[in-house]
Amino acid sequence: MESTDRVQKLLELTRRELVSRGLAISGWSTFAAVLGTGGLETVRFFYPRVVYQPPSTFRIGPADGFAPNGDDSDAFGVLLVDDRWKSQSRFVVVRERNRIYALSARCAHLGCTVNWFNDLRIFKCPCHGSEYHSNGVNFAGPAPRPLDRLRITVNLDGQLVVDTSVTYGPDRFDIDGAFVSV
Amino acid sequence: MMSQNQRLRQAITTSQLYRSIFRHDYVDSLRNRALEVTSNIFLHLHPVTIPRHALSVRFTFCLGGLTFFLFLVETITGLLLMFYYRPVPDYAYIDMKTLEYAAQFGVVLRNLHRWGAHLMVVTVMLHMLRVFLTGSYRPPREFNWVVGVSLLVMTLLLSFTGYLLPWDQLAFWAVTVGTNMAAATPFIGAEGPFHEVLGAQPLNDVRFLLLGDMKVGSNALLRFYVLHCVGLPLFAIVAMMVHFWRVRKDGGISRPL
Amino acid sequence: MDSTEVASAPEAAKAPPAGSRAGAPERSASSAAATVFPDLVYKEFLAALLVSILLLVWALAINAPLLPEANPGKTENPAKAPWYFVGLQELLVYFDPWIAGVGIPTLIIVGLMAIPYIDTSHNATGRYTLGERRLAIGHFLFGFALWWVLIVIGEFLRGPNWQIYWPWQSWLVPKSAEEKLWSFPWWLGLPLLAAYFGIGLWLPRRRWPWLYERLGKSRYASAILFTLLLYSVPIKIFLRLLLRVKYVLVTPWFNI
Repeated sequence: MESTDRVQKLLELTRRELVSRGLAISGWSTFAAVLGTGGLETVRFFYPRVVYQPPSTFRIGPADGFAPNGDDSDAFGVLLVDDRWKSQSRFVVVRERNRIYALSARCAHLGCTVNWFNDLRIFKCPCHGSEYHSNGVNFAGPAPRPLDRLRITVNLDGQLVVDTSVTYGPDRFDIDGAFVSV
Repeated sequence: MMSQNQRLRQAITTSQLYRSIFRHDYVDSLRNRALEVTSNIFLHLHPVTIPRHALSVRFTFCLGGLTFFLFLVETITGLLLMFYYRPVPDYAYIDMKTLEYAAQFGVVLRNLHRWGAHLMVVTVMLHMLRVFLTGSYRPPREFNWVVGVSLLVMTLLLSFTGYLLPWDQLAFWAVTVGTNMAAATPFIGAEGPFHEVLGAQPLNDVRFLLLGDMKVGSNALLRFYVLHCVGLPLFAIVAMMVHFWRVRKDGGISRPL
Repeated sequence: MDSTEVASAPEAAKAPPAGSRAGAPERSASSAAATVFPDLVYKEFLAALLVSILLLVWALAINAPLLPEANPGKTENPAKAPWYFVGLQELLVYFDPWIAGVGIPTLIIVGLMAIPYIDTSHNATGRYTLGERRLAIGHFLFGFALWWVLIVIGEFLRGPNWQIYWPWQSWLVPKSAEEKLWSFPWWLGLPLLAAYFGIGLWLPRRRWPWLYERLGKSRYASAILFTLLLYSVPIKIFLRLLLRVKYVLVTPWFNI
């Protein structure tokens, strides 16, 4: 009923009314479109196409440089946690009996740098108290997931190379690149 | 007989220079009191008369006015600090030290700016409390309360953006934590729930929008600097204009009915 | 007219300072009105002066903190947000970042802005009163106090690794690792949440029918929802502290 009324009203418009209404609609839609695109492009303006960052790969020496002193592994099978690269490059190297992997020292919660406490055998985050086992698995505090693991490979010289730009979540801990077998 | 002082005062207050500035006589009369307000751009924010009730310090505690005063303090001290500050990671921290050791009263200036900002956060919160406790947000003042809340938010954002500028450990980590929270925004943050719906990743999410990078670095410092010194103050000034104007248009500060 | 006023200038100058209540005999039109200049302006001036003195003394006495230069590889321990955001940082212990850092601030801002559109009554406007607006003021003060309590806890009681250190305890003594947390299974969490909001919406209407009648449907619902959300924050904190609950509701997409 109402829709036929509307159609009827449209049919009764004079040519002048029809043209002015059409002009108004197209004019205002153009106005809105330009404003909308302008707004969108302004947002995109804040996403630069290039950001300059320092190199993300680090050579950390041959695998046998991570030989543990004794043969004692902790409850999580970890023999050695090496945090020599933490303050410069934000990762730690973990040696289990059969593999070596690199943990990102970036807390999975809000990105603070976690600290390794060798006597307690845990990582602690200074910002909100998240705690991780020696293998990077979270067990206390607000952290939602384990510490990310970083791409680690052996180059032609037999050196281990850590690439901090490639991270692996818990579902990819066992794929090639997330660890080096020893 | 006029004393020396009175003659001097008369000479000054009837001079062309004085009258060109103030446009009304010096005599204390109701007319001149009105003209003092209406012919002065700084005072004409006020009405000519107000209810006696509105004068009570124990009603307003001057909190709104003091917040505005502190905004002026921040503007002036901030302007002066800008003469010594370059928003680049290589220079920013050195400039803080230069300011401290090589500029006359530079450290006092920085203290004034920092403590003034803290005080402003306190006064703006207490002002909100005062307005709530006196029920002054009720019609017809609803919209001005909304403007006031946005001014509170702007005060906090101004403080937060300013926090990064010294480029010290305190600044860096406070802002790292703060902007990582932005990455946890649902849908548009790379680490928030439902981030895969719109395909939010560290390279295109809302944190990148804030930082211009995936971590706090030179782009972030420049962005925060521009927002702190120009962007947010402009928004705040516009919001303050609306806020003050609406106080008058909504019938002055509230009074018992 | 002009000339007589100029001539009388010395007499006016002898009158008491223009701010005093006894002065200015012209002001007889209405005793309830005061001229802004100078009655209000001198108070504003005095207030600004007092704050300037306070600020200047403060700035001369205490230096603003400046730590070592920013170093992305070494996080300060503890790393604290500016004090006005420490309350939110403290909430991060109990909530996921998207709730503590995005959800709660957004709700606070929206909730504050919604206040005048929910409470549209006119009783007791323009003066301080507790008795006549017990509900509104009580809830607001609770939220305001909660904000400050969280700030005080985060600012003064949190030490290294964001663990509780009382003021008399040394930060050099490490605290032992926290014990394991657990979450409500979904068949417990979902009904609990539903019951909290369901009963919360139903009970006040049952208990205080006039509240519903005065506010109407949508105002009542928003008022109650915002209040329930406000109290859910300390409830979650106590669940965590007393029962070691990490999440009330666990879903594949998000946790609460």
